[in-house]
Amino acid sequence: MAIELKIKVSAVSKAVGKPFENLYIKTLRGFFEEITRLTLFTFRFFKELVKPPYEVNEFLKQAYLIGYKSIPLVVITGFIMGLVLTIQSRPTLVEFGAESWLPAMVAISIIREIGPVITALIFAGKVGSGIGAELASMKATEQIDAMEVSGINPFKYLVVTRIAAATIMLPVLVILADAVSLYGAYVGVNLKGDVSFHLFFLEVFAKLSFTDVLPAIIKTFFFGFAVGSIGCYRGYHASQGTEGVGVASNAAVVQGSLTIFILDMVVVQITSLFI
Amino acid sequence: MEKKTGNKVRLGIFVSVTIALFIVGIYFIGQRQKLFVDTFHVSGIFTDISGLQVGNNVRFSGINVGIIEDIQQVTDTTVRVDMQIVEDSRKFIKKNAIAIIGSDGLMGSKIVVIIPGTVGKRELSDNDVLATARQVNLDEILAKLKITSDNAAHITGDLSAIMSEVRAGKGTIGMLLMDSTFADNLDAALVNIKQGAGGFKQNMDAAGHNFLLRGYLKKKAKDKTKTDDPKPDKKKNESKLKN
Repeated sequence: MAIELKIKVSAVSKAVGKPFENLYIKTLRGFFEEITRLTLFTFRFFKELVKPPYEVNEFLKQAYLIGYKSIPLVVITGFIMGLVLTIQSRPTLVEFGAESWLPAMVAISIIREIGPVITALIFAGKVGSGIGAELASMKATEQIDAMEVSGINPFKYLVVTRIAAATIMLPVLVILADAVSLYGAYVGVNLKGDVSFHLFFLEVFAKLSFTDVLPAIIKTFFFGFAVGSIGCYRGYHASQGTEGVGVASNAAVVQGSLTIFILDMVVVQITSLFI
Repeated sequence: MEKKTGNKVRLGIFVSVTIALFIVGIYFIGQRQKLFVDTFHVSGIFTDISGLQVGNNVRFSGINVGIIEDIQQVTDTTVRVDMQIVEDSRKFIKKNAIAIIGSDGLMGSKIVVIIPGTVGKRELSDNDVLATARQVNLDEILAKLKITSDNAAHITGDLSAIMSEVRAGKGTIGMLLMDSTFADNLDAALVNIKQGAGGFKQNMDAAGHNFLLRGYLKKKAKDKTKTDDPKPDKKKNESKLKN
């Protein structure tokens, strides 16, 4: 009787444990497979990037759509970013009697971290999802297959141009966002104080150095590349059907944003080794 | 086609404007780091640089005239600090100027402050080594303050013990202040002394009228008058000098 019960218990535990075990392994395997596919996708991008012919017109079109069309969003968020950061920082600095440090402190925060990261996140939200949805819908309507049939390399035409445009346009947008944020900070400083434009910018540049600006700009190329490549990968490998469009768009934003934070952490660790 | 060209122009303007902004920013930062002005190099040997870093300011007469270019440990007790100073300030910084490590405000970063040399001395040359002085830092002041406060604590402790003994009437001062018997005795002693002094005076007056002591007392009074009035002798000496 006891032996029978033992066999039953082990059978039940096996039956319950196995699906969970399989699920973990399946998820882990899926994750690594996805990493491999994304890496191969990235390698293919570099291979197609250097191989002629070059799709310059399509690249410029994408740069216009990705960069120029994002100006209003970046300008508005940049201005608010600088303004709010200044207003929020003021009381603490006033408590320490260090109100005159406000421009320098806000400038360093914006240039080093907040400007690049917030702009990249907005970029991931607008551009990453856009690319993902666009390519996924092209895949769903078999436009990509049609391009292949008509002799056009869809990867070169659709993916390479978009990733290159995202990589180049994000740093440009970040520079614009930084400049607008500093103007927002100037407005913020003058809401409760009286600092001339000249003095404000003298104080900003008195505390900034190349080690603040250059790593911050360099990392935005990586952010742009990550957003572009994840968006394209998600769209290019979307499952068939309209449902795949939503999934690709959502995954492009979520994974792009997460990658931005991970890259930022890595870059900060690397730069702190040298500075 | 026209729309496409228009888009390209807009994109070109946008990219150009942002790159121009970036270049302007880089120029201002470079200007602060004295990249676009003529400079000369000097150095100073310090024993303690108190956290001075490359890129910190060099200040002369309250004006930022340069930056710290390099910091090198020379020996186990000395650190060489290389400074880059603008050429325009060279004529004001003399050979005997002294460099000290200062601070940019209470919470600010460390800076090198150059104390002006004496007027008339030759101005600094390229790669000169400035004389340095050691600035008393906050830790040393605090250490000294601790010794002083420890001493003060000992003194107040001793003083408190003395005061409690005085209050208990122990010791001469304690007895003087707190013991009423002692005060009465002292009062009585003073009365006795006063009476004794009165009696002694009367005895001395009586002795003065005695023929045995009269001559001696007169002689003593005469000697006293002489020592009190030395003028006649002085006048004699002066007239001798004139002759």
